[in-house]
Amino acid sequence: MIMLVILIPVIAGILVPLIPFKKRSHMEIFLETLVILNSLLVWNLLIHRPESVFTLANFTGNLSVSFKVDGMSMVFAGLVSALWPFATLYAFEYMTKEKHEKTFFTFYTMTYGVTLGISMAGNLLTMYFFYELLTLVTVPLVMHTLTREAILASRKYLYYSLGGAAFAFIGLIFVIIYGSTTDFVLGGVLDLEKIGNRSNVLLLIYVIAFMGFGVKAALCPFNSWLPDAGVAPTPVTALLHAVAVVKSGAFAIIRLTYYSFGVEFLRGTWAQNVVMLIVMFTIVYGCSRAVKETHIKRRLAYSTISNLSYILFGVTIMTPLGMVGALSHLVFHAVMKISSFFCAGAIMHQTDKHYVHELDGMGYTMPGVFGVFTVSAFALMGVPGLAGFVSKWNLASAAVESGNVIAYGGIACLLISALLTAIYMLTIVIRAFFPVKDFDFKTLDGEKDPNWKMLVPLFVFTIFMIIFGLFSAPIVNFFADVAAGIY
Amino acid sequence: MYYIILSILFPILTGLYLLVRKEIKDRKRLLTITGIFLVISGALVILALCMAGNGIFTLFNLTERLPVLFRIDEVSVVFSVMTVIIFLCAGFYSFVYMKHEEKEKRYYGYYLMVLGVLIALCFAGNLITFYLFFELLTLSSMPLVLHNGSREAIMAGLKYLFYSLSGAYMSLFGVYFVERYGNTLTFSPGGVISAQAAAEHGGILLIVCFAMLIGFGVKAGMFPMHAWLPAAHPVAPAPASAVLSAVIVKAGVLAIVRVVYYIFGASFLRGSWVQNAWMVLTLITVFMGSMLAYREPVLKKRLAYSTVSQLSYILFGLAVMNEGSVTGGLLHVLCHGFIKTALFLCAGAIIFMTGKTKVSELRGIGKEMPFLMWCYTIVSLGLIGIPPTGGFISKWYLAEGALASGIPGFNWIGPVILLISALLTAGYLLPLTIQGFFPGADFDYSALKKKEPPLLMTVPVLILTVLSVGIGLFPQVFINYLSQIVEKII
Repeated sequence: MIMLVILIPVIAGILVPLIPFKKRSHMEIFLETLVILNSLLVWNLLIHRPESVFTLANFTGNLSVSFKVDGMSMVFAGLVSALWPFATLYAFEYMTKEKHEKTFFTFYTMTYGVTLGISMAGNLLTMYFFYELLTLVTVPLVMHTLTREAILASRKYLYYSLGGAAFAFIGLIFVIIYGSTTDFVLGGVLDLEKIGNRSNVLLLIYVIAFMGFGVKAALCPFNSWLPDAGVAPTPVTALLHAVAVVKSGAFAIIRLTYYSFGVEFLRGTWAQNVVMLIVMFTIVYGCSRAVKETHIKRRLAYSTISNLSYILFGVTIMTPLGMVGALSHLVFHAVMKISSFFCAGAIMHQTDKHYVHELDGMGYTMPGVFGVFTVSAFALMGVPGLAGFVSKWNLASAAVESGNVIAYGGIACLLISALLTAIYMLTIVIRAFFPVKDFDFKTLDGEKDPNWKMLVPLFVFTIFMIIFGLFSAPIVNFFADVAAGIY
Repeated sequence: MYYIILSILFPILTGLYLLVRKEIKDRKRLLTITGIFLVISGALVILALCMAGNGIFTLFNLTERLPVLFRIDEVSVVFSVMTVIIFLCAGFYSFVYMKHEEKEKRYYGYYLMVLGVLIALCFAGNLITFYLFFELLTLSSMPLVLHNGSREAIMAGLKYLFYSLSGAYMSLFGVYFVERYGNTLTFSPGGVISAQAAAEHGGILLIVCFAMLIGFGVKAGMFPMHAWLPAAHPVAPAPASAVLSAVIVKAGVLAIVRVVYYIFGASFLRGSWVQNAWMVLTLITVFMGSMLAYREPVLKKRLAYSTVSQLSYILFGLAVMNEGSVTGGLLHVLCHGFIKTALFLCAGAIIFMTGKTKVSELRGIGKEMPFLMWCYTIVSLGLIGIPPTGGFISKWYLAEGALASGIPGFNWIGPVILLISALLTAGYLLPLTIQGFFPGADFDYSALKKKEPPLLMTVPVLILTVLSVGIGLFPQVFINYLSQIVEKII
């Protein structure tokens, strides 16, 4: 069953260029059906969760490729499988203006399977395998337009990701040597007897591995690939570079911290302080760069950098509540950011405008898109009643509860970042809805909202932002159960 | 119970309706609709005040520990009644004034929404509900500031937005800690910080309390975060400046009342460094605001600086934390509300009829619109604090409270600064009266025309003038009511 949901998208992706579709709409139907089917299978799998570990292959000793669905997998796989059908629908409309559609959909759909592989990996080695694979299948998507810029960006993406994975690999080796197993166990697998007095070495290795996985999560100073990768078509930027790929980085760090090294071993050490300070710096850094940036998609990419570090901030608090905060931001940010990216994509698709200063008065010609954008801006800022507030609340109250003074500083960073978020998001909203006095609306003639394939995902995400904001208790309770190891 | 929800949602929803519906060609129809909406909103608030009792009404839970709940107590009554009166006066006034501005429908839409949000702030029963509507207040009142769409107005709107948001986030910083250490965010007279929490986490709680004071103080124009106020208030259309300057800034005062007396509690803060630092800040603001107003040539800007100074009178009263000063502060909320609205409406009427904005251009204005200038003069006397107006009573209580407080230093510096500032108030408000009625020997009387504004403008000003004098003539009614509040929280 687990193999099935991973393989269906991969095979579907490979089939796209092989099947001679008569019409474009046939390919759309084929892909959308398979993606929805696969998502249903995933949800079925999550609800009727197999307790056992599924081992695909055994290498020497305790190294094996195995899968297991635990609480963390449920969160990440559930999120990814909920978003993918909508993103595919959106991509059909968006890609009408781009070339090489088939190549695009091949890799786009394959990525779905690989991401599910990461989420359901049962041990560090399997996760590492899919993690590398994810880099490889997404590179073609980044260089899709084949402009010089895109090729440079994809090369950068490749080098950064592979380099990061190499550092993470060091962590993997140490866990194999000093751990009792490489399976994911909440609370960690390190064997204190084997470590003896070498705990400082292991802490150093933790920091190195954290930074290694942090490359994908765009941790400063390894963030510069993410804004550059924005040259990819918007469905890629929205789904992969705001959710699937970067959140795989965050997901891997959660696995590393809570399931391999274990928070008992790490809490209160210098390693925790180091990673927390780096994360705090990234939070503020990402936002400040976003304020400076005038290209819409790059601005949102910098915003992603900062928001990913919110998640990592929750991780570095290293308490169960911190994990709840991290998980809630992992899910809620996905919805908020994908919807704002889709708005940016819709603007580019309809009008070919890429810069913030070109958006004057467009709230009146594209009310649907800008309405959704406004809601997602409010949500990202953390206006109460929308999703962003809840996740920030969870993060901050975890920080207060931990009693860690550096974490108090982290709350301040979150709030500074919230203010900067308001600045870079609301300046767009204000331009769109309140153009200067003698603005000439004739320049906007012919611009209108995109068709239903683009609008439906946007409205669905908006509804989710509101539901998560108002009635978050069930889902946050579920996260608390995950953090307590009930699932 | 549902009256509360109705009184909050009705203005917000009707405001939204006006915003999204298509342009109304017939101006009379727009005004009729808006007028009806305004009157019904006011009536609903009164109905809620009469019918709802003082039970707690929980709407729903944001998360398990964060309920959105409403409750009407005496403080809500004071603030909501003031809000409704001022909104009705300024609303009807704008039916005439807005004739020379564009996009009227948008203006009334946001105007109604702001009313609903303010009512919600008055009725909020815990800090998180308050915070929710506090952010909504910023977001919904910002369009009023940048209404005319000039570059200056948009810049002022952004400044307002970002100052307010940074204030809101500073207070949010405190909210996180209060929720954890106080274990609840529900407002209760005397505070929610238990003795044990105060002993264990006293240091950090004082720090976050100070952050919250500064944060909510942004809305109330307290130094060092006052700079948005003189930029934002004058660029708005006059009736919008009136509600901004008289009511919306009071949301900051209300926030501070709630935080200090209903969350932290006076006994926790009395004598701490927070109280001292806060008093210093308010006194600086009082003095600085008056000074800047005195130097300012443009009338509406002058009034905005005056707001900065007057609001810190209120905050100073709250900071001293004894019976007299808090009573004085709360009474000054009402006095300043009515007076400042009247002043801004006068300034707006002058702009509407003559197009002049600077004080120096207004020689002889009293001969042109005598009735309006009489009202102006009377409320000015009120703001200076000359009996028998309301301002005298509130300042009397403020100064008396400060003198009786026995806080070394502040018990005499406070009243002295208040008096100096009163003198400056006379210095910046009365020249208009003097030049207006006594333009001097060399003045050319032949150019004067009767320019009394239409009734829909003068009647609201008259009502507010009467109210501000009424407080001074029958102070006992108000003092008795306010003492009910003060007894519970001191």
